Amino acid sequence: MKRVVITGMGVVCPLGSNVEEYIKGLENNKSGIQKMEKWKEYIGLNTLVAAPAKIENEKSIPRKKRRSMGRMGIFAAQATEEAVKDSGLSESVITSARTGCIIGSTMGGAEAMNDTFEIMLPEKDLSKLSSMNFFKCVSHTAAMNVSQCFGIKGYVMATSAACASALQAVGAAYGLIQSGKQDVVLCGGAEELHAIVAGSFDILFATSTHFNDNPECTPRPFDKDRDGLVCGEGSGILVLEDYEHAQKRNAKVYAEVSGYHTCGSGEHVSQSNKEAMVSCMKETLKSADMQPDNIDYINAHATATIHGDKQEAEALKEIFGDKIPVSSLKGYIGHTLGASGSIELIAALKMMQKSKIYPTKNLNDVAEDCKGINHVMKIQEKEINSILKNCFAFGGINASLICKKIL
Amino acid sequence: MDKKKIEEMVNQVFEESFEIDKGDLSPEKGIFEDLGLDSLDIVDLVVALQKKFGVKIRDDNRVREIRTLGDIYNFIESLYNEGNFSADK
Repeated sequence: MKRVVITGMGVVCPLGSNVEEYIKGLENNKSGIQKMEKWKEYIGLNTLVAAPAKIENEKSIPRKKRRSMGRMGIFAAQATEEAVKDSGLSESVITSARTGCIIGSTMGGAEAMNDTFEIMLPEKDLSKLSSMNFFKCVSHTAAMNVSQCFGIKGYVMATSAACASALQAVGAAYGLIQSGKQDVVLCGGAEELHAIVAGSFDILFATSTHFNDNPECTPRPFDKDRDGLVCGEGSGILVLEDYEHAQKRNAKVYAEVSGYHTCGSGEHVSQSNKEAMVSCMKETLKSADMQPDNIDYINAHATATIHGDKQEAEALKEIFGDKIPVSSLKGYIGHTLGASGSIELIAALKMMQKSKIYPTKNLNDVAEDCKGINHVMKIQEKEINSILKNCFAFGGINASLICKKIL
Repeated sequence: MDKKKIEEMVNQVFEESFEIDKGDLSPEKGIFEDLGLDSLDIVDLVVALQKKFGVKIRDDNRVREIRTLGDIYNFIESLYNEGNFSADK
């Protein structure tokens, strides 16, 4: 099996449109959460907070490449551009058949779906539909648009597992390179914010609704006052590369991907399941040939839902006890859903690089049901040689990934 | 509506929908080779013209004969002369 390393990273998220701005935002304890005045028009939508990302400089993407992109396509293309530049890979490598692209999202572009229904449904008239709506609505809109934009000729795939989509994309890319089928894979997730998406959580009482007038105070992962998740948007793209390929070109290496697992709970469509989480993390440790003590930092999924955080805290406690530092980044950037795995993994890799752990924002008072693990509540200096990233999704789907520094 | 107004409104469609500079829009320009549209753009051109002029042209065979920007001006003018559209403003 080939070794797989991370050689490039790019981000668009509620804290900024590149990795530097994003990390600076974390460093400064900045909140990307805002009040969504426009959402007041939706009857029955109780959450009025969200974490939007900014579309900036989109016209730098040529019109014919951009016309089929919704917000998430633009986010993904811009994050990819940064990641590719960061990797230093040449255009000839990116456009060779040995380079692939796997980008996941919860669903296709919600804005385009909304527009399609608004155009089509009142009079059941298709003649007013743009040819581009379909390309923005499809489930693989991010992967498809990025692959067109960058001339990808290797594997092109889209993972679709709600909030585990991005981590599954990274996991799938890892597998393709391990097996020798690809040398390089651009991978991660993308998501766009829309009331359709937030509403789907809202009607399940999974969103934060008590902080509509104090958006910076929510979400509150693991906190006693947590009241649900806050939807966000953006894209996080990583360049995964065969280690030997990276060595040959003397590439900068952030970390090695050393373990991955994904599994279902087979239990419930929306409720997280501690046993399945434990199983996922244990299998990931096994695949990396590591023990719990070998992990230096855990980047939790923790979205600030009542049930999910409790299950994750219990699962972490069972495996890691109270030894390994744990933090969640949702308090800064909200839950970027299908993009969260890669956006948050990028921050965890930067923490590894900087030997510094960013704490769980808005965690002021650890909830009784989340105690027993090593919560990071203020910036902590620590040498980090290995990280574990978790993502747990609707459908009982879990994914965990381990990266370690190449020493 | 005079021809000049039609030309202005068609040009607006090209500026708004296809991001083509006003200075590049002249009647002899081929919509594919000179203005860079492709088959997908034609679908959107039809949608945009329908919206702009309040007409239904998707199934009009004359659309298939269009090659230049001037052809579009003439086509829209014919529709107007036939009295079957209600242009917006």
